[in-house]
Amino acid sequence: MSEIKSILSQLDCVAKNPRRQLDMIIDGGKNVVGCLPVYCPEELVYAAGMIPFGIWGADGKELSKAKLYFPAFICSVLQSALELGLEGAFDRMKAVMIPVLCDSLKCMGQNFKAGVPQVEFLPVIHPQNRKTEAGQEFLRSQYMKLRKRLGEIGTPISDEKLAEAINIYNNHRRVMREFSETAAKHPELISASERSAVIKSGFFMDKAEHTKLVERLNLLCGAEPVVPWDGKRVIVTGILADSSSLLSIFEKNGIAVVGDDVAAESRQFRTDVPVTKDPIEGLARQFADMEGCSVLFDPEKKRGDMIVKLAKERKADGVIVLLTKFCDPEEFDYPFLKRAFDAAGIPSILIEVDRQMVNYSQAETAVEAFREML
Amino acid sequence: MNGKYAMGIDIGSATSKCVLIGKDGNIAANSLIASGTGTAGPSMAVEAAFGKLGVTRENISAIVSTGYGRNSFPGADKTMSELSCHARGAYHLYPEAKTVIDIGGQDAKVLHISNGALSQFLMNDKCAAGTGRFLEVMSHVLQLDISEMSEAGARAEKPLEISSTCTVFAESEVISHLSRSASINDIVAGIHKSVATRTAGLVKRLGVIPEVFMTGGVARNENVRHYLSRELGVDIKTSPLAQYAGALGAALFALELTNNKE
Ligand code: SF4
Repeated sequence: MSEIKSILSQLDCVAKNPRRQLDMIIDGGKNVVGCLPVYCPEELVYAAGMIPFGIWGADGKELSKAKLYFPAFICSVLQSALELGLEGAFDRMKAVMIPVLCDSLKCMGQNFKAGVPQVEFLPVIHPQNRKTEAGQEFLRSQYMKLRKRLGEIGTPISDEKLAEAINIYNNHRRVMREFSETAAKHPELISASERSAVIKSGFFMDKAEHTKLVERLNLLCGAEPVVPWDGKRVIVTGILADSSSLLSIFEKNGIAVVGDDVAAESRQFRTDVPVTKDPIEGLARQFADMEGCSVLFDPEKKRGDMIVKLAKERKADGVIVLLTKFCDPEEFDYPFLKRAFDAAGIPSILIEVDRQMVNYSQAETAVEAFREML
Repeated sequence: MNGKYAMGIDIGSATSKCVLIGKDGNIAANSLIASGTGTAGPSMAVEAAFGKLGVTRENISAIVSTGYGRNSFPGADKTMSELSCHARGAYHLYPEAKTVIDIGGQDAKVLHISNGALSQFLMNDKCAAGTGRFLEVMSHVLQLDISEMSEAGARAEKPLEISSTCTVFAESEVISHLSRSASINDIVAGIHKSVATRTAGLVKRLGVIPEVFMTGGVARNENVRHYLSRELGVDIKTSPLAQYAGALGAALFALELTNNKE
């Protein structure tokens, strides 16, 4: 039991101190490349002997310089990420990869280039038509470009090294999926905040090390008896679910997160990279294989049904939609989601979240009412 | 726990409401004080209700507090969210209600009731537009008492358009109408229409299931109800006790608490 707590607090400490973590990695002699939402080919960075480092903004960051670049209606994830960049928080990184998966991200790349010229900007350009051969070919060529440049910044990337990196990442994905199941079985051992910290810490660590710790955690928790949970079980969906205020409201109300469809959580590790002869092909294929994400083009809109299925599997009492304010892709998906939940008879609520949010009293009322309703 | 009455207290942002019910679930006393959380309002409301029946805390079997200030009320046996309480209270006042629209001092909520309990809900954003506060600000600008607003709106001949949803912008829009000497009645009707449109948007997002019942302070404004009913294309019912729905719901939960304990 004490080892479980000690791993949880170790990962919590990492999740809460990305800055210190960054310095530690760099002082330890490794180079770091920042990775913005939503998907970056981290395996390429890893194969070049560097550590990919997640940049998803920061809660409660006061925005001042970023306002020169962004209008107010850009999501707080990018506003706060840019503010960090303008403050010099990424100066020790070798480069920052910025995908263009939503309209806000498109502006982010340009703003980053203009405002943070001291850090190399690497655009990650994904095709809209992910599944067509043309789309795949385009993506492979983009990944080849990145492979070349990352190989120059770090060490050249051979096929073997890339295959090895993919293997390490797939292993991490598997362990994280197992963790999500473990947390669902043991809400008494892993609280909503701890669950979030375990996942978030993965953004700031060498994936191989993170895998080891989480694997050990899964093993230890798995050996504990399953005890009945008298609180409520929910699935969360959205871009982020890491607000400490919100998570403590969940805990106060006896709500356990038994699964998620959160971009910064499960969407990162739901889909493995297929092992192919040419590892670049595998990386590109993974992008076509991913499903149920607001920023990935999907004419069938499978996301709602996927969440319904997850809710049933995990015996969830309901779904909490955490809508990141000013995130168009998520806002467009919401009506589809709501319809799917209603059709399946799954209770759901919508809570708008924002990295600059300080007053959680309305969210608290909503969570309380939801708990009373379930 | 042998008190005769169960008590519900709804501590809102602008008002405090207290309801005492007997074992039969009927309202024995109710009170409303026009100051809300963080003031002496809640205790004054309790005193007023106690005073009507000549009772003290001893005679109360259980207390449930609800509303924005629910967590700061000492002596509550339990707190419940105002959404559950409004659903419960509205159902008690009007058992046919399936959709409840509650416009309070600082927020607007829409709820669905099924089998007498809350089944779905939606709240407005953290913004005063379309709430009681909005009407209050406008009544100050127009130098009307908030209770005169409904009648003024009803007397309108050509309701104006207030297009800004933001309270601050709407205020300057109203002032510019005033400076063009538009009729106060027409301006008031425009304000009510804008509250109705904004609220209707929220209601439609959740879905309109008749019958529709309105609670909260703004429910007393018949002119707002008129425009809202036009926007939604359904009749909107209310009750003279609509403002007490939250406190009544809380009292009913308190009664349940008593019965469970006995
Ligand atoms: S997907 Fe949404 S949250 Fe993410 S960067 Fe784009 S707008 Fe912001």
